[in-house]
Amino acid sequence: MPLHAKGTGLVFVSNERSNNIIVLDPGTLKLVKDLQTAGRPRDMHFNADHTLLYVACGDDDVIDVIDVAKLEVVGKLATGRSPEAFAIDEARQRLYVSNEENSSLSIIDMTQNITIKEVPTGAEPEGVLLSTDKTTLYVTSEVDDLVHVIKAEDGFVSDSIVTGTRPRRFAATADGKELWVSTELSGEVWIIDRATDAVTDHISFLPPGMRKTDVTPVGLVITADGKTAYVTLGHANHIAVVDVATRKVTGYVLVGDRAWGIALSHDEKTLYVANGLGDDMTVVDVASRKATESVPVGRTPYAIVIDD
Amino acid sequence: MGQLFGMAVWLALSFLCCLVSMRAATAQTTDTLTIGYVEIAGDPRYAPVRGAERMILATRDRPFPAVEVAVDEAKPLSPVIHREFAVVRITAKTADDVAQAVLAALQEQHIHLFVLDLPGEAVKMLSQAVHGKDVLLFNATAPDDWLRREACSADVVHTAPSLAMTTDALAQYLVFRKWRDVLVLQGPRPGDAVQADAFVRSAGKFGARIAGRVPFKLGNDPREREQNDIGLLTATSRDYDVVFVADTDPDLEFARSVPYRTTRPRPVIGSVGLMADAWLWTWDRYGAPQLINRFLAKTGRHMTGLDWSAWMATKLVTTAALRMRSGDFGKLAPQILSDASYDGVKGLAVSIRPWDHQLRQAILLATGDAVVASAPLPGFLHATNELDTLGDDQPETPCRLGGG
Repeated sequence: MPLHAKGTGLVFVSNERSNNIIVLDPGTLKLVKDLQTAGRPRDMHFNADHTLLYVACGDDDVIDVIDVAKLEVVGKLATGRSPEAFAIDEARQRLYVSNEENSSLSIIDMTQNITIKEVPTGAEPEGVLLSTDKTTLYVTSEVDDLVHVIKAEDGFVSDSIVTGTRPRRFAATADGKELWVSTELSGEVWIIDRATDAVTDHISFLPPGMRKTDVTPVGLVITADGKTAYVTLGHANHIAVVDVATRKVTGYVLVGDRAWGIALSHDEKTLYVANGLGDDMTVVDVASRKATESVPVGRTPYAIVIDD
Repeated sequence: MGQLFGMAVWLALSFLCCLVSMRAATAQTTDTLTIGYVEIAGDPRYAPVRGAERMILATRDRPFPAVEVAVDEAKPLSPVIHREFAVVRITAKTADDVAQAVLAALQEQHIHLFVLDLPGEAVKMLSQAVHGKDVLLFNATAPDDWLRREACSADVVHTAPSLAMTTDALAQYLVFRKWRDVLVLQGPRPGDAVQADAFVRSAGKFGARIAGRVPFKLGNDPREREQNDIGLLTATSRDYDVVFVADTDPDLEFARSVPYRTTRPRPVIGSVGLMADAWLWTWDRYGAPQLINRFLAKTGRHMTGLDWSAWMATKLVTTAALRMRSGDFGKLAPQILSDASYDGVKGLAVSIRPWDHQLRQAILLATGDAVVASAPLPGFLHATNELDTLGDDQPETPCRLGGG
């Protein structure tokens, strides 16, 4: 982490059905603001200095721009139909967003608020990951079981990698060599070697007392030192702790109903999990691997980001 | 100006790159995997639903566009597996012409995989006619239990849920709600008895009780009022929690008249009211809205249970082709019939039961415009897969296609 903005510490949870972002105090977990957004807010990202928060709003085909100090929507970027997940290249003022119902990825010029290119993808594109050198994009297609490798410059699809069933989200390992992809319906995380685009491994999960069919991984996050990954397991109502080097599951933590989005605090002491069917968020103490608290948020919480 | 020019060049270049990539894909795509869609002209199952005054209450649409939606979804796979997908619609004049039409498609167009929009009898006749040939049939519209039991065939995969799966789903829901006592109203058609039998069996399986089983008859004859008056039919001395109506009249004239006319204030399920189906267009979980919207955009109508089953059949084929990187029947059929699981957009992953080739799937319990629940309901457990609490589990079926 080269540069880090000292933020407010506030926790932001986007809620698909209640069209809002619930902003919580990290210490008391009390409501700071019920921030109304455009319809169906989903993926969220801060700019580098954390002054702005961007949120993709699927029902209104916009990305709302939120002033983090004021906690107000201060702008909108037009997208394709049903924007879901995105990545930002701030230096170039470019935003790359998957349009779930348009089967495409839009490349948006943020300064001019125009779409400069729309790249066709497989049906229901979701996860978007931009390489650290900002040259390569990875996009999942949930329906077609593909990960597209796309040149960020011109949108050229250089490869399409076949994965497990219903690929969702990404995490890149700290060394930049591997791409981890959650495949919801096959209940796995697939590992792709980024140098060759080859699938090198997959990880399966089975928390105690759960069925294989309940295991539907979606959210995943890797620690800054690259040693540990945390994966939400959907209907299995747990998160998995994975040792990245050995790819072994070292533990499970019981959270809420349909564990979905996940975020790790900057000090990596606390995990926050959005429970999609529970309308709440579980707070997990990383050291003890125990859920410490569960707080109500909006309806169908999707993503969590922390301003720290 | 310079910026504009730069933009134009950039656009031209990006256009060129797309042309090149498209051409590369076309050059490598040497083959087409064609799926046959088989139907019978004038199939009475698709006659519109008429009311008493001959007004049309609802149309019933064939699920052909659902196959097209699944083929469209698979288009991005073509550059990956170097194969295009297509569907050919095969319309037989009568049930007797179906086998000939399918065999002709096999010989002349080399189609091996067929989505069947056929009644149960026609599915059985066809499966016998193609037995031993390189053909796999997908039954997308016939719910008959006998087709999966006594008449089961290794050449048929059933993506349509069986009648037993739907009555099991209803029985689970009643037990889940503790609405355990059921009054069964059964019509005079042979199909009505089959439906009532299936429900009674499901009730016994999950612990619901049959408070009474009463025959009904459509009509106004005062001499038959014990059978045609809903007030009298439902005025049984033994109380019940819910009324199950078994009515296979295509116009559902009797069934539609039952809700709100019962002597006791009780909900109505089965052929009307709360119904069990493979799909409903208001289902909004697990990626369903996106599929529903794609279907609506293509057809201008709502997606039905038959549509889902036909879409699923096609999706089995395209996903198997992706996984095997092949369109060869010799590779696809074993993959489809393996224990592999697939995405049915209904939560739990779907897969094929080895013993009778029925697709395991969640069943939706719904009214006309709301999904009330999805079965299996919480608490109904199974040793290996909760979906096998619905329909014929291995020990229950006389069919022995495989899987020990």
